[in-house]
Amino acid sequence: MILYLSTIILLIVISPLLLSFITQIKMFITFKKPISIFQGYRNFSKLMSKETIISEETSAVTRVAPFLILSPLLIVLFLLPPIVKGAYYVSFVDAFTITGLISLSTFFLMLLGLDSASSFGGMGSSREAFISALVEPAMILTVFSVSMMAGNLGIGQAGVNLASSFPQKHMASFLFSAISFFILLIAENGRIPVDNPQTHLEVTMIHEAMILDITGVYLAIVEMASSIKFIIFASLFASLFMPFGLQFSIPVALVIFIAKLLIICIAIALLEIGTAKLRLFKVPNLLGISIVFAFLSLITFYVLGA
Amino acid sequence: MFLFDTLSAVFTVLILLGIVPNLFYSFGYLPHIKRKTHYLIHYFGFILSMIGVVISANALVFLFFWELMSLTSWQLILTEPKDKENLFAARFYFFMTHLGFVCLLLFFLIISNGDINQSFSALKAIASHFAYPTLLFFFLIFGLLSKAGAVPLHVWLPYAHPQAPSPVSALMSGVMLKIALYGLFRFLFDILYPWPLQWGVVILIIGAISSLVGVLYALSEHDIKALLANHSIENIGIILIAFGMGMIFDTLHLPLLSAFAFIAALFHIFNHMSFKSLLFMGAGSVLHQTNTKNMEKYGGLIKTMPITAITFLIAAISISALPPSNGFLSEWMIFQSLLSSSHINIMTLKLTIPFAIFALALTGGLAIACFVKAYGITFLGLHRSTNAKHATEVNSLMKIGMILMALVVISLMLLAPIYIHYFSNTLVSLGKADVYHKIFPHGIWQMHSVGINGGVVSPLILLIALLGITFLLIFAYKALHVKERIYKTWACGYRTSSRTQYSSTGFAGPIRRFFTWLYKPQEHLNTEKVKGHNTIFTSSHYAVHVKPLFEVSLYTSLVRLTNITSYWVYRFAHFEQRRYVAIIFNLLLMVLFSYRIFSHQFSWATFAIETVVMIITIKILVIGDKK
Repeated sequence: MILYLSTIILLIVISPLLLSFITQIKMFITFKKPISIFQGYRNFSKLMSKETIISEETSAVTRVAPFLILSPLLIVLFLLPPIVKGAYYVSFVDAFTITGLISLSTFFLMLLGLDSASSFGGMGSSREAFISALVEPAMILTVFSVSMMAGNLGIGQAGVNLASSFPQKHMASFLFSAISFFILLIAENGRIPVDNPQTHLEVTMIHEAMILDITGVYLAIVEMASSIKFIIFASLFASLFMPFGLQFSIPVALVIFIAKLLIICIAIALLEIGTAKLRLFKVPNLLGISIVFAFLSLITFYVLGA
Repeated sequence: MFLFDTLSAVFTVLILLGIVPNLFYSFGYLPHIKRKTHYLIHYFGFILSMIGVVISANALVFLFFWELMSLTSWQLILTEPKDKENLFAARFYFFMTHLGFVCLLLFFLIISNGDINQSFSALKAIASHFAYPTLLFFFLIFGLLSKAGAVPLHVWLPYAHPQAPSPVSALMSGVMLKIALYGLFRFLFDILYPWPLQWGVVILIIGAISSLVGVLYALSEHDIKALLANHSIENIGIILIAFGMGMIFDTLHLPLLSAFAFIAALFHIFNHMSFKSLLFMGAGSVLHQTNTKNMEKYGGLIKTMPITAITFLIAAISISALPPSNGFLSEWMIFQSLLSSSHINIMTLKLTIPFAIFALALTGGLAIACFVKAYGITFLGLHRSTNAKHATEVNSLMKIGMILMALVVISLMLLAPIYIHYFSNTLVSLGKADVYHKIFPHGIWQMHSVGINGGVVSPLILLIALLGITFLLIFAYKALHVKERIYKTWACGYRTSSRTQYSSTGFAGPIRRFFTWLYKPQEHLNTEKVKGHNTIFTSSHYAVHVKPLFEVSLYTSLVRLTNITSYWVYRFAHFEQRRYVAIIFNLLLMVLFSYRIFSHQFSWATFAIETVVMIITIKILVIGDKK
C-alpha cells in the first residue's frame, strides 16, 4: 500500500518535469538556450503566490470547475497499472471508466471556457468538443483490443498480464493498437500536430483558449491537471505498450519506468519538431487513422489471431 | 382483462417515478396554459392510458389504451394551437402513430386468428404455428418503434416534442417512448420467443444507427427542445443496442450475458426516463421564463435561475454518460455486454460488433459535446437577449418538480444495486437467468461484468472519491486564503458583449463542417455592404438550416413517388375507349407471345421479333402521338 501511494505521489511530482523536458529537447534541437527542467515547478509556485482574478461575467462554475477538472484525473492516477513489482494496484477498472473520468474532466474544462463569456473560451471549447468527441471511440476500441490480448478488461490487470507473459503471437495487432494509442496520446494532450501548447494565437489554440481567462491558483490547478493528464497517458503507454521491466527490483524497475517515460517524451519532442500543426479540419483525418488502426488491430486479432 | 405481473410492475414503477415529479411541475406550469380543462382532461387521460397499456392482459385492451395514449398525447400537442408549425407537428405525429397502430393491429390480427379478445398467453400457440414469424417480427417492431422513435421512424419526434407544453414533452419523451419498449419486452419475450439470430442483429443495427443519427442532429439544433427530442432518438438507440445484444446472446445460448444485456436495457430505460424528464423540465422552465425556444437568445441564466441550472447540470452529466452518474452505469453495462462479444463463435458477428462499439463510443463523445453546448450556451456567459436578462427563477411547484426528478436521478445512481436486483428478478420471471449475484458478487461496492475477465466498476467508491478529492481541493484552496479580485473578462483589449460570445451555431460549427455530407446545411448570408466597398458592411445576417436527411430522402421522396404514381393512375383511368381496346389487344399479344416461354419453346430470335412487335404496337396504339 505504501508503494502504491508513493508511486502515485511520484507520478504527481514528476509530471511537470516531463512537459518541461519536452520543451527542453525542442529548444535544444532548435539551437535555443534550453529552459530549466524545473520550469514547471517555477511556474506553479509563481501562480500559487499570485492573486486570483475572477471575471465579473462568470458564475459559480468558474469557482468550482478547476477542482472538478483536477479531481477525476487524480482518481485516474489511482487506477493505473503498477510500475514496480509488489505494489498494490486496482486491477479491475476498465477503459470505459478511465475514459469517462477523463471526459468528466474535459467536460468541466469546456464549461469553464464558456463561462467567462469571452469569444476565445467558446472557440476553445468548441474545438475541444470536436476533437474529444472523435478521440473517444478510438480510445475505447484501442484499449479494448489491448485488453483482449492481455486477457483482461481491467487496465491494471492487463498491464500486469502483458508484463508477465507478453503475447508474442499477437505482435501485429499489438503494434497496430500501439500506433493508434500514440496518436491518441498526442491528440488528448494537445501536442503538435493537433494543438500547440506554446501558442497564444487565436487561429490555432485549443487548450490555451479555454483557460485564457483564469489566473493565479486556478490556473495553477488547471496546468497541473494538464500535466497529470499527460503523465496518465504516458504511463498508460509505458505500461501497456512497453510491457517490460516490471520483474526487476524496485529501484531498477523505477529507473526503467522513468526511462520509458523519457523515451515517450523524446518521441513527442522529435515529432513536434518535425511536423507543423495541422489545420483544425485536418485533425479528424489523423484521428481517423487512429480509429482505423484500432479496427485493424481488432480485426487482425480476431481473424488472423496475429 | 388486466394482468399485473413483474414486467408490468417494473413499468408501472417507471411511470410512477416519471409522473409524480411531473404532476408538481405540471401544476406549476398550469397558470400559463389557456385551455386548462382541455389540458387537464388529456393530461390525466394520458397518464391513465399509459398505465392501462402496461397492465392490459389482452390485445383488445392493449390496443384500446395504446390508441387512447396516442390520441391524448396528440391533443396535448395541440394544447396551444398557435401557428402552422404546431398543426403540422400534430398532424405528422397523428399520422406516424397511426401507421404504427395499423402495423400493431395487423400483428395482433394475425397472431390471434382474428379474435383479439384472447389473453396474451393464448396467442403464443397461434403465433408459433404461423409460417412467417419474421413478418410478425417486422409488423411488431414497425408498430412499436414508430412510437419509440427509432430510425427511420423517428422523424416526428423533433417536431412533436417541442410543440407540446413542457411537462407533456417530459412525459412523452421520458415515459411514453418507454411504453413502446415495454411492448418489445412483452411481445418478444412472451409471444415470439425463439428468436432467430437475425432479429437481434436487426435490432442492434437499428439501435446503432439511431444513436448516431439522434446525436448528430441534436448537435445541429438550436431549438433547445428539439435538441432534447433528438437526444431521445439517441437514447432509444442505445437501449436498442442493449436489447439487440441481449437477443443475440440469447439465441447463441449465452444466458448470463443475455440477462446482463437486458438488465442494461432496462436500467437505461429508467435512467433515460429520469434525466430526459429532468432536462425537459429544465428546458421548459427556461422557455417559460424567456418565451423563446431559440438557444441563441439564452445565456447567463445560471445567475438568475440557480435551481434550474443545477438540476439541468446533474441531468446533463448523466445523459453524457460521465462517471459516476447513473447514465454512465447503464452505458458501462451496455459497453461490457458489447465487449463480451469475444465469447461469440460466429466470425462475421464478432467483426460487426466493434462497429456497434464504435457507434456507441462516438455517440458518447458527441453527446458530451452536445450537452456542453446546451448547458454552456443556455446557462453560462452573458445574457444574449433582453428576455434572458429579465428571466427569474420559476415558481416553487415547478422547482419542487425539478428537485424531485433530480432526486430520482440521484437515487438511480446511489441505489443502483437495488434497482438492478429488481430488474434481475423481473428477467427471472420472464425465464431468463438470474445474474444479480454475478453482477454484485462481493456486496454493493463493486459492479462486475458477467463476461469472462470482464471489467468492474465501483460507482459508490468513484462518487465518494470524486466528492472527497474535490472537497479536499476546495478546502485546501480556502485554507490558502488566496486574494481574489473581480475584474472584467480579458478579451484582448476589446469589450466582451453578448454579441462576441460563441453562439450555439458557432459552437457546433466544427462538427457541422466535418459532417457536411450528412447535414447538407443550407447557409444563408445576407450582407449589406457600404457602397463601393467589398469588405465594409453595415449589417450582416447569417443563418444555417439543417434539414434531416431521413426526412428529405425517405419521406419526401415517398411523397413524390406517390404523386407520380397517382398521376399515372389518373392518366390510365382517363383514357378514351379506343386506348382501352388497344391495351387489351396488347395484353392479348403478350399472353400469346409468352406462351412460348411457358411451353419451353423459347428462342432469342423470336423473342427479339416479338419484343419489337410489342414495342411498336404499344407505341402506336397505346401511347399514340404526343400532343
